[in-house]
Amino acid sequence: MRRSAAIEWLARALAILGGLVLVVITLLIVVSITGRGLVRQGLGPIPGDFELVEAMTAFAVFSFLPWCQLQRAHATVDVFTSFFPDRINRVIDLLAELLMTLVMILLAWRLWYGMMDKIRYQETTFILQFPVWWGFAAAMCAIVVGVIVSVYMTIVRAQEAFAGESQFAPTKGGDAS
Amino acid sequence: QEVTLRLHQFLPPQANVPKLVLDPWADKVEAESGGRIKIERYPAMQLGGTPPQLIDQAQDGTVDIVWTLPGSTPGRFPSTEVFELPFMMTNAEATSRAYWDLFESRMKDTEFKDVHVIGVWVHGPGMLHSKTPIEKLEDLTGMKVRAPTRIINTLLGTLGATPVGMPVPQITEALSKGVIDACVIPWEVTPALKVPELVENHTEFGGDHALYTTTFVLAMNKAKYDSLPDDLKKVLDDNSGQEFAAFAGRTQAGADGPSRQIAVDRGNNIITLDEAEVARWQEAAQPVIDNWVAEMDGKGLDGKGLLEEARALIEKYTAAQ
Amino acid sequence: MSNLELGIYSFPVLLLLIFLRIPIGLAMLTCGLAGTWLIMGSTAPILARLKFETYSTFSSYSLSIIPLFLLMGQFATLGGMSQSLFKAANAWLGHRRGGVAMAAIGACAGFGAICGSSLATAATMAQVALPELRRYGYSGALATGTLAAGGTLGVLIPPSVVLVIYAILAEQNIAKLFVAAFIPGILAAIGYMIAISIYVRLFPGAAGSHPRQTYRERFRALADVWPVLLVFIAVVGGIYTGWFTPTEAAAVGAAGTGLIALINGGLTRETLVASILTTASATALIFFIVFGAAIYNSFLALSQLPVEAAAFITEQGFNPWIVLICILLFYLALGCFMDSLSMILLTVPIFFPIVSGLDFGLGAEEFALWFGILVLIVVEVGLITPPVGMNLFVINSMAKDIPILHTYRGVTPFVISDVVRTALLVLFPMISLFMVRLLY
Ligand code: NA
Ligand code: NA
Repeated sequence: MRRSAAIEWLARALAILGGLVLVVITLLIVVSITGRGLVRQGLGPIPGDFELVEAMTAFAVFSFLPWCQLQRAHATVDVFTSFFPDRINRVIDLLAELLMTLVMILLAWRLWYGMMDKIRYQETTFILQFPVWWGFAAAMCAIVVGVIVSVYMTIVRAQEAFAGESQFAPTKGGDAS
Repeated sequence: QEVTLRLHQFLPPQANVPKLVLDPWADKVEAESGGRIKIERYPAMQLGGTPPQLIDQAQDGTVDIVWTLPGSTPGRFPSTEVFELPFMMTNAEATSRAYWDLFESRMKDTEFKDVHVIGVWVHGPGMLHSKTPIEKLEDLTGMKVRAPTRIINTLLGTLGATPVGMPVPQITEALSKGVIDACVIPWEVTPALKVPELVENHTEFGGDHALYTTTFVLAMNKAKYDSLPDDLKKVLDDNSGQEFAAFAGRTQAGADGPSRQIAVDRGNNIITLDEAEVARWQEAAQPVIDNWVAEMDGKGLDGKGLLEEARALIEKYTAAQ
Repeated sequence: MSNLELGIYSFPVLLLLIFLRIPIGLAMLTCGLAGTWLIMGSTAPILARLKFETYSTFSSYSLSIIPLFLLMGQFATLGGMSQSLFKAANAWLGHRRGGVAMAAIGACAGFGAICGSSLATAATMAQVALPELRRYGYSGALATGTLAAGGTLGVLIPPSVVLVIYAILAEQNIAKLFVAAFIPGILAAIGYMIAISIYVRLFPGAAGSHPRQTYRERFRALADVWPVLLVFIAVVGGIYTGWFTPTEAAAVGAAGTGLIALINGGLTRETLVASILTTASATALIFFIVFGAAIYNSFLALSQLPVEAAAFITEQGFNPWIVLICILLFYLALGCFMDSLSMILLTVPIFFPIVSGLDFGLGAEEFALWFGILVLIVVEVGLITPPVGMNLFVINSMAKDIPILHTYRGVTPFVISDVVRTALLVLFPMISLFMVRLLY
């Protein structure tokens, strides 16, 4: 199967967006500590810098997950599997991807309810007092992409397993020392 | 035993509230149930999550009982904030009794309807701990202060300080590194956070009313409570309510004295603002109270009524002591 | 099956999943969810918890240091800073066998002085130093082993988040704990350098050898290092003078390296995208593990395993030293599965009261300091002991072409050095307490 350019673009665009948010966090913190350092000169920290960093970090991390999965970058251990034949490794890959998809769906489904709770209880942050659910909503958008990527990866793996050939090497293998 | 209840909270087990309030309470419930109730205690968020999630954990049945701060989820328990307003509280026991009354009449079936509340209380008089002395209102200007609640954050901004937000465990490091110049907490918490080692000045407020206090709640999962047989419900009921609230408030405030002594023994500078100076602070804090009333009215919560009723109850229980 | 048995049996199940190449975070998450379900007898509690757990883990202020430092590492490479750092290290030390790896340990120690987390230290240094070590002819085994071990210096060398949490749990003075950690931290760095020099003597092919350079060349190489020094001084200076928190330091570092990369032309639209994507993968990898570990940890707490283990150890009536060694071994075992912070949170409230009642010939405070340092070190050793160690996995996953067995082999000398050091610290409490006595 050809890799889907659309899915790849989506995961990549989301990761880049998350990365830009990270750059914004960096700038926000630098401005805030500069202001804090110049309190005597009448400046001050950015109000609520703490909670902004928290909410933005959450979005960044959520939006990095699909890309990580698409790149097969999650931490895995190949101690034994490098001795297995490719056929078995492809089945293992399929099972791992299936488990990941189930977990991503579970997390997305629960996050949705978490967001609904935050809307219902009208919880706000401490200082800026913006609704907590805004952060959840941003995360929700990212995790939906995560679910899409997971399902896509499961299909890719299933095809690999049935076709008996891998798109990418299923095990690391090879002597790199 | 037939029932195991999991009690989850955010402080280490040897901290004052777990040691002096929650453990004695749990021991008493276990004993009065004839060993049929066992309360497993999980300190320091061992069962996962962050402190603001505790109330959800009790509500959803992730755990059975939690001790938490309604204020850690701003907006969710707005009525409790009336006791956190500046210069409301007198002493912890009377204010805790008043809090229980107001809880029963105005919050039990509204904001707290999704949990079974065992007790509500407040801590002893809250105050300032600072690197440079705060002897008058103007000393606050430009000072970076970590505040415990939404209300106190607003208050500090109004009084001219720069509020800096951060979680409680970070206070120690932030003070030691100079990220903040001062923090607002009651005496009781200061030893655990090493505050007397890190600042030399402590500002107490003279007169009848303290700068602020923080509200607490000990809440249980509703379904779990309902599932108990009547005789075990009675054991819990006997250890719930106003007398428990008074005990908790009194006990927690009782830990203020020994903690204050630690600062005294270190030779720290303990400042007590006189009534004239406190009056200036009260005047400066009035807009915070007015804004809060307007905000509550905006939510359809009768801010003025809450404020007056809370004041009347506090005065009543304070006078009765 | 009792709750305790569930806790115990979860270890082999988790190991099996991990060795079947299920992503580590996913394996921990699955075991934690299933175990919690079995203990609670219903899915409702765990479903309820998942409503908020992902968001609150990913929005943690203290964890936000991780993507910021990773971004800093990327910018440092774009700006040519890491290259010039290692060029200088090679100029001065390259003719010695293993010299550049030793420099990498030194860089880890330096980075450890600004970062309080071993995963963040290992991951950041892996981004910066791994390509450089390979360039100078180091084997994948030695390069990944060096960086996994070097990462533990992030916690051993103050400031350290883990020590702050221990201080609060055990009600100890933080400054004294930092002082007590100082000599053991230095010993760790020295021990690692010795480990490298022995390893490269045993396996001469593991390290490239380079001709001795003239002092003229050496100083020229050193002259290019000033941007790194500038950023490092700003970050360290800011932390120690109290200008910023560790997370803020990471942001300052990222901004500083980004600015330098921008000025010298390394930072363009294309390279920015590339560095963001690398940061994205590494960040997601670490946070997914942290999240899985959080769920798994709370399951272990729920199984009462630490409480029962503590009760078991006390009931044996062992002499104090045996009790201490049992506890340290228990920590070593837990260190395979948990990150140091949650392990400290889970176990110190349970174990500290037990051990503080035993007599080791030390005062109460000195004992608490000594025990804290021992726990800290053993927990960190757990992160790099094969077959299961978070630092090993993270580093190895960032070097996809290196089989984990090579990383196991490469880290072995460092583990031996750790064991020797731990034995010394257990036998001679004064190594930890000497500085405290001197200063207080
Ligand atoms: Na450190
Ligand atoms: Na290990």
